[in-house]
Parts: sequence; structure tokens; C-alpha cells
Amino acid sequence: MTRNEFLSKLADELKKNNIGEIDDIISEYDQHFAFKLADGFSEEEIAAKLGNPVLIASQFESIGDENNSRGRKAAAIIGLGLLDIFAGAFFILLSAWEAIMAAFSLCGAVIAFSLFGSISPWSLIPNMPRLAEIVFGLSLSSLSVLTAVGCIYFAAFIRQLMRSYRRFHENTIAIASGRGILPTVTISPKISSRFNRRLRTIALISLILFTTCFVLGILVSMILSGTLEFWHTWGWFGYQAVN
Amino acid sequence: MNIQYKKGVLELCVLSLLKRRDCYGYEISEYLSKHIDIADGTVYPILRKLRKEGLLSTYTQEESGGPPRKYYSLTNLGHETYEKERSEYLKFAKKVELLLEDGFDDKE
Repeated sequence: MTRNEFLSKLADELKKNNIGEIDDIISEYDQHFAFKLADGFSEEEIAAKLGNPVLIASQFESIGDENNSRGRKAAAIIGLGLLDIFAGAFFILLSAWEAIMAAFSLCGAVIAFSLFGSISPWSLIPNMPRLAEIVFGLSLSSLSVLTAVGCIYFAAFIRQLMRSYRRFHENTIAIASGRGILPTVTISPKISSRFNRRLRTIALISLILFTTCFVLGILVSMILSGTLEFWHTWGWFGYQAVN
Repeated sequence: MNIQYKKGVLELCVLSLLKRRDCYGYEISEYLSKHIDIADGTVYPILRKLRKEGLLSTYTQEESGGPPRKYYSLTNLGHETYEKERSEYLKFAKKVELLLEDGFDDKE
């Protein structure tokens, strides 16, 4: 490669990599040629000793140009801003689901309480014999506990997901502005194994209790009412049995 | 040797040369390639990086019978950084040398 070939190739590569002050860089390499030529080397020899212009240009790139990095930072922030909107909507959705589960759990508890106490707020609880009330009450209170456990797990999951996203957010900006990054945060929530074991036991017991009592409640109701469709007999859902 | 691996050490060598006296780019390139096996073109990106980081400053000086030369000189920050990184590197290198010794025994 001749002096001119080398320099124009280098200039092209630098331009391609969006490096600033190219003239300044080229003049350094041009002077290098001038000194070496004066020492009696040929242009080809000098170019070979300098190295591949593509590689040299990439070394300038890895250093990161100031304007370039500022541009990258701006692009990263804009991109992250857009991503934040989606992630925000997603987190709102997840939180809404958490709220629904919590409300469900609370409703279960209130209904169970009403059944145990034989009270019917706004006549919403259909009437049934005492035994059926207790069995259904047990079933619903178990369901309430089960949902509450689900709520705890889900809340821990959302919290960890938000943390993980926040770390990703910070690291992306750090990379764009050439700063060091912090270790990433895993998505799986950190729950102490003892607490986790307890929660699982509670969930399992309440699940068994809920299903057993639910089936038992239906059986008891069928037996007490003497029909398979006990809800007709007891006049649930606002109408009486026809016959 | 891996170029990324060498780069940090090369920066230190450039700083140590410039601590002694101001040099123009070609001088630095010749000095390094005389002692360390690198492509001549590697030095200029390093000089630029050090200047961007504020460790070096440049000035041009007319030369008799030639184009003006761009001299590099160490800034105050460059001096401080050099002293700090020099002692860190020497400590590190001493440790590595110890670890790479044939008879090195971890159990003490």
C-alpha cells in the first residue's frame, strides 16, 4: 500500500466510524510517513509496519468520540423513554392484577365472615341451612387465604421485576455514557427459604381445605335439600322452585 | 500478545516517557516500537485517548527545515494519574510474577 492509499483508506474508515477531527489524525500518520521516508524506508514498508487501516480506525472508535458518545447517550435516553412507557403500562397492568387478587381475597373473607355469622348484608348471601353455611364459610375462608398467599408472591415478583428493570435502565445509560455498569438483578424474587416453606405449607393446606369443603358443601346442601339442584329449593338467584 | 491487554500498559509507558520530556507523535511511536512489539499505528489512537481524557496537552512548534511538529506534554492530571497507576501496576506485576513462578505454593 502506498502512502496515499493508506491515508485515504484510513480517512474513509474513520469517517465510516464517525470519528471527529479526522484531519488531525491523518496529519499524524502523514508525518509518520515523512519521518520514516527520511530514514530510508519505502512507503510499502511503512504502511505494513503501521498496520491495517481498518484495525487502526477501529481503535479510534473503541476510544469513543465525544460527540459520538453524547449522541449515543441521547439516543439511549430517547429509546429508554419509549421503553419506559411500555414498561410502565406493563407494571400498571401487573399492579392492577395484584389489586384484583387482593380484592378477591378480601371478598372471600367477608363472605366467609357473613356465612359464619349468618348475616346477609343487603340480602346478597342466599339462605341455606346452618351446616351448609359453616362448610361453605370454611371453603371460602380457605380460598381467601390461598389468594392472599398468591398476592404475597405476586407482589414480591412485581417488586423484583421493577428492581431488575431499574437496574437495566441505569446500566443502559451508564453504557451509553461510557461509565461502568452494576451487576444485573435477577427477575426471580428473593424470599427467604423459611418464609417460602411456610407460605407453601399454608397455600397447600388452604387449597386442600377449599376444595374439600367446596365439594362437601355441595354434597351437604344436596342431602339437606333432598334435591340435586338445591339452589332451586332454597330460592337462590331470586326465584322460587316452580313445583 | 492481545492488543486490548497491552493497551493499558502502553498508556502507562507513554505517560512515563512524557514525564521525562515532551515528545512529538513519531518520537513516541519509535520509542515504543523499539521496546515493545506493536504495530506502529497503534500509538496514535492511544495519544488521542489520553488527550481526550485530559492527561495530555498538545502544542505545535516550528522546526527548522520541516513542517511544525505537534508536541505532547503531561498535564497535572496526567502526572497524578501516572504516579497512581504506576504504583498500582508495579504492585500488580509483582504479584503476577510471584503467581507465575514454577515453585509457587499457595499453602502457607
